[in-house]
Amino acid sequence: MLIIKLAFRNITHAGLRSWLNVFVLSFAFVMIVMTEGLYDGMLQQVKDAVVDSEIGGGQFWQKDYDPFDPFSIENSHSKIPENLLLEIKKGNASAVLIVTAAIFPRGHVQSAVLKGIDPSQKIVKMPTYLLNDGSDTASIPGIIGSRMAKSTGLHSGDYLSARFKNINGTFDAVDIRIVEVMNTDVQSIDRDQIWIPLKSLQKIYRAPGEATVITLKKDVRYYPSGEPGWTFKNHDYLLKDLNDTVRQKKVTASFMFILLLGMALLAVFDTQVLAIFRRRKEMGTLMALGMTRKKVVLLFTFEGCLLGILALIAGAIYGIPLLAYFAGTGLNVPQVATQAGISIGAVLYPKYSIQLYIITSLILFISVVVVSFLPARRITRLKPTDALRGKMA
Amino acid sequence: MKKLTAVFIFLLSGFAFAQAPSGEEILKHIDKNLIIDRALLNTTMVIHGRAGTRSVKSKNWIEGRDKAFVEYTDPPREKGKKMLKLAGQIWNYIPEPTDRIITISGHLLRQSVMGSDLSYEDITENRKLTDLYNAKVTGSEKMNGRDCYVVYLTAKQEDITYYSRKLWVDKERWLPLKEEMYARSGKPLKMSEINDVMRIEDRWYPKKMTFRDLMQTGGEGTEYMIDSINFHVNIPASQFTKAALKK
Amino acid sequence: MIKFLLVGLLRDRHRSLFPVTVVSLGVILTTLLYSFMSGMMNDLIDSTSRFDSGHVKIMTSAYHELENQLPNDLALTSTGSLLASLKKSYPGYDWTARIKFAGLLDVPDENGETKSQSPVFGLGVDLLDKSSHEVERLNLRKALIRGRLPEKPGEVLLSDKFARKLALGLNHKVTLVSTSSGGAMAVQNFILCGTVEFGITAMDNGAMIADLSDIRFALEMPDGAGEILGFNKSKFYSSENAGKTAADFNGKFFNPQDKFSPLMLTLEDQNGMGEYIQYADSMGFIIVGIFLIAMSAVLLNAGLMSGIRRYGEVGVRLAMGEPKGHIYKTLIYESVLIGILGSFIGTSIGLLIGYYFQQVGFDISGSLRNSSIMMSNVLRARISLTSFYIGFFPGLIATTLGTALSGIQIFKRQTAQLFKELET
Repeated sequence: MLIIKLAFRNITHAGLRSWLNVFVLSFAFVMIVMTEGLYDGMLQQVKDAVVDSEIGGGQFWQKDYDPFDPFSIENSHSKIPENLLLEIKKGNASAVLIVTAAIFPRGHVQSAVLKGIDPSQKIVKMPTYLLNDGSDTASIPGIIGSRMAKSTGLHSGDYLSARFKNINGTFDAVDIRIVEVMNTDVQSIDRDQIWIPLKSLQKIYRAPGEATVITLKKDVRYYPSGEPGWTFKNHDYLLKDLNDTVRQKKVTASFMFILLLGMALLAVFDTQVLAIFRRRKEMGTLMALGMTRKKVVLLFTFEGCLLGILALIAGAIYGIPLLAYFAGTGLNVPQVATQAGISIGAVLYPKYSIQLYIITSLILFISVVVVSFLPARRITRLKPTDALRGKMA
Repeated sequence: MKKLTAVFIFLLSGFAFAQAPSGEEILKHIDKNLIIDRALLNTTMVIHGRAGTRSVKSKNWIEGRDKAFVEYTDPPREKGKKMLKLAGQIWNYIPEPTDRIITISGHLLRQSVMGSDLSYEDITENRKLTDLYNAKVTGSEKMNGRDCYVVYLTAKQEDITYYSRKLWVDKERWLPLKEEMYARSGKPLKMSEINDVMRIEDRWYPKKMTFRDLMQTGGEGTEYMIDSINFHVNIPASQFTKAALKK
Repeated sequence: MIKFLLVGLLRDRHRSLFPVTVVSLGVILTTLLYSFMSGMMNDLIDSTSRFDSGHVKIMTSAYHELENQLPNDLALTSTGSLLASLKKSYPGYDWTARIKFAGLLDVPDENGETKSQSPVFGLGVDLLDKSSHEVERLNLRKALIRGRLPEKPGEVLLSDKFARKLALGLNHKVTLVSTSSGGAMAVQNFILCGTVEFGITAMDNGAMIADLSDIRFALEMPDGAGEILGFNKSKFYSSENAGKTAADFNGKFFNPQDKFSPLMLTLEDQNGMGEYIQYADSMGFIIVGIFLIAMSAVLLNAGLMSGIRRYGEVGVRLAMGEPKGHIYKTLIYESVLIGILGSFIGTSIGLLIGYYFQQVGFDISGSLRNSSIMMSNVLRARISLTSFYIGFFPGLIATTLGTALSGIQIFKRQTAQLFKELET
C-alpha cells in the first residue's frame, strides 16, 4: 500500500515530465485502437453492405451455379423446392433467376446477365419495388447499378434491347426500360447485370417457378434442410475474399502499431533509466529506512506501470469522445474499387469492440511493465551505503 | 353431266390457279432451288468489322442439308482452316502447328463465323423449314423490282432458334429475296437478302447475299458471294468425316 | 567552444551516449514510421498500377470507351514504333505493352479433339524479353505454386485452382480459343509450364498469363496491343510527373477526331484513383503530423530529464562563478550537438532500415496464406526526400526545446544556497 501511495506521489509530483509520458502513452493507445477500429469498421461496413444487399443470411445455389463460370449459368436453374417455396411465402427468403443475355446499348453487343427478382421482396436492400412500374407494358422495367450505367452509357428512362435464348433454345429479345440507376457499394449486384421482375423473366425464359439462387433473410437462424439439387453457401464461403483482404490490411497495419508502441516505450524507458540514475540517494534512503531491494524495484517498476495506468485513463478521457465522434459521424473516404472487387462507401464508420479495447490495453500495459522493470533491475545490485552517497555500483 | 363436271373442274382449277400457292408449297419450291444433293462451291465472304473490312475465300462441299465441309483458302492466315458440319454438330480444324479439332458447342455456338454477322448457331440448323414452321402467305410485295409473295412462318414446336420468320419470295424464281428472323417477342433479330441471282441448269441460285444482325446498329452486314458452283462433282463419303479435317 | 563541448560530450559517456541513443531511437522510429506510412499509402496505388493501370496507360480512345469489354479489335496497332518513340521521349519510364483478352480454354484428348472447355480471362505480357520487368511487376515468382515461369514461346501459366479444376498437369497441352482482332475464332496451343495464385476468386477460377508475342500471334495482332503501360523507373507514382507526361504525350499523339489515335491516361484518371490518392495524402499528413508531435513530446521529455540530471554539475559550475547565461548557452549548444548527432545517426539508421524494406520488403505471408499476384503480401517502406529530414524535427528541435525548458531552472537558483544544495 505504501508503495502505491509513494509511487503515485512521485509520479504526480514530477509534473510536466509525467504528463508528457502519459500523453505519449495514451496517444499510442488511442491511435492503435482507432486504426484497428477503422479496419474493423471497414470490414463490418462492407460485410453489412454485402449481407444487406446481396447475400442475406446465406444463399442456396442451384447445384450447377458458379458465378465465375458464365457457361454454368445456362444450366443452373431449377424448380424452387417446396421447402424453400414455403420460406419464400413466409417472407424468409427470396428467389433470383439468372439468365445470360446479349444486350445492345449504343448499338454494340455486350454480354450481361438478366436477374429476375420479386419486386415486393424485403430480403435484400434493393429498390426492387420500383420494378412494379407498369407505365409501359411494351417493355420490362429494369434496375441497374451505377457501374453498369457507366459501362453501358445508360441512364434512368433509357431503353435497351436484350437478346437471349429461352430454355428451349429459341431466341427471344425484349426491350428493357431502365427505371432506376442504384448506387451500391456491392459490385456483385451491379457489374454486367440488369435486375428485372422475376415473374417477367420466368415468363420470357419459359421457366415458370424456377430460380438460380435463393437468398435467406439476414437474421434467419433456421436453415432449411439440404435440398437435393441445391447447395447452401454460408457467410464464410460468400465473404471469403473480403475477409482475406481485410486480414492482410490488418497485418500491414500492425507494423505501424509496433512503431507507435516503440515510441511510447521509448518514453517510459528513458524516464525510468534517468529516474534510476538520478534518484540513487532516494533509493539509498528508502533502503536505509528498511525497505528491501525487492520493494524498491517494485516501487520503481510500479511508477512506470502507473504511467501506463494513467495513460489508459487519459486515453479513455479524450479517446472515448474522439472515437465516439468518429464512430458517429464517420470518416469521409473517396470511393475506390480495389482489385478484390470490394469498394468502400463514401463514409467509413469505425467500429470499436470491447475486445479490441481490452487487448490493446493489455499489450500496452504489459509492455510498459516490462520496460519499467528492465532498468529497475539495476537497483538490486545497489548497495545502500553507496546509494546514500549517490553512487551507482 | 359430264360436261358439267368438266366445267366444274375447269372452274375449280382456274380458281386454284388464280389463288396464291400455299405457304408450304412456296417453301417446297424454295427447297427445290436451294437444297443441293451434292455440290462444290467456291465462295467469298466480305466482313465489315469495327476496325476494317476483310474478305475470306473458301471451298465448300455440300451434300443435302446435313453435311457440309468448308476449307478456307485465303487470306493466308486462314488458309488450311477447315470446318465440318454433320447434322447439328460442328467441328473446326486449325492446321499445323496448332493441329487441333475444336468442338463448337455450348457457348462457342454463339461465336461469329470468321467475324461475320453469322454465328455458328445460324448455320447448324438443318431441319426442313416445313418441319419447323407453319407457313402462311400474307400478301404480295415488290422487292428489288420483282414480285414477291410475303410468307410468314411461325414455329410448330418450342425448340427452335427463331420463333418466327418473314420471307419475301420471288414469284417466278422461287428464291427468298429477303428474310427476317424474329425473337419470340416479335422483335426482329437478323436479316438476310439475296442481292444477285444466277441461273444454273434448271434452277435459280443466289449469287450474292447479305446477312445482317439487326440488334446491332451501324453494322454494314456481311456479304456472301458464290464465285462458282459445280453440281456434278463426286464427293467421297470420307469427305464428311473428322478424319478429313486433318488431311 | 563547440570543440570543447564536443570533447566534453565524448569524454563523459553518461552525458552523451544515453541522450544520443534516445534521440537516435526516436528519430529512427520517426523516419521508419514515415517511410512505412508512405509505403502503405502506396500499396493500393502500387497493386492497381502493377496489374491494371500502370502509372500511365496508353490506349486508343475507342478501346478506352469500351475498356471493360476488352475490345481488341480497337486496340493500338504498330506499337513497335510507338514504344520506340516513348522510350526516347520519356526515358524516365519503363514502357511495356499488354493484351487483355477473354476466351475459352479447350483441353484436348489424346486424339487432339475437345475433351473439355472452360471460360478464361487472359493477360499477354512481355515475359520472355530479358529486359522486361513484367515478371517482378506481376509478382509471378512468388505467386508460383507449381512448375516454373514461361521460358520459351508457347508456354502458359494458369491459375492453380483452374488447372486443378481442368485436371491439368504440368506440360499438358491446352488450347486457347478466343476472338481475333478481326472477330474470327482465334485458336492457339500452349504448354502449361506452371500455375500461380492470383489471390482473387474471380481470377483464380479461370485466368491465364502468356507471353505477349504468343497472344499477338493468336489474336492476329502483329505489333498490336490493347494497352501500353508506363511505370516510373523510381518504382513510385508521381502525380505531377505522370500528369506532365500525359499532357505532353497527348499533345503530340492524340487526335480527338481519330478514335484510333493513342490516348494517355494517368493512374489518377482511372478507377477513381485520383480521389483516393488525395485522400491518402491528407490522411498520411495527419497521422505523421500527430506522430511527430508525440515523438517531440518524448524527446522534449528526454531533454527535460537530462537537464534535471545535471542539477549537481550546474550547481558546481555556478558556485565556481560561471555566469548563468553562459551555462544556459552551453547547455543549449550541447543539446543542439546531441540533437544533430542523434538525428543524424537516427536518420541514417532509419533510412538504412527503410531502404532495406523498400527494396526487399517484409514478407507478411508467414501470418497469411501464400503470396499471390494481386496481393503481394510484401510490406514495403518508401523512402522519399521527406524521409531524409523528417526525423530532425523531433530529434533536433524537441531535444533542444526540452533542454531550454529545463535550463530555465538555472536562473532560479540562488548562489547563496548553492553549497547547501550541493552538500546533500
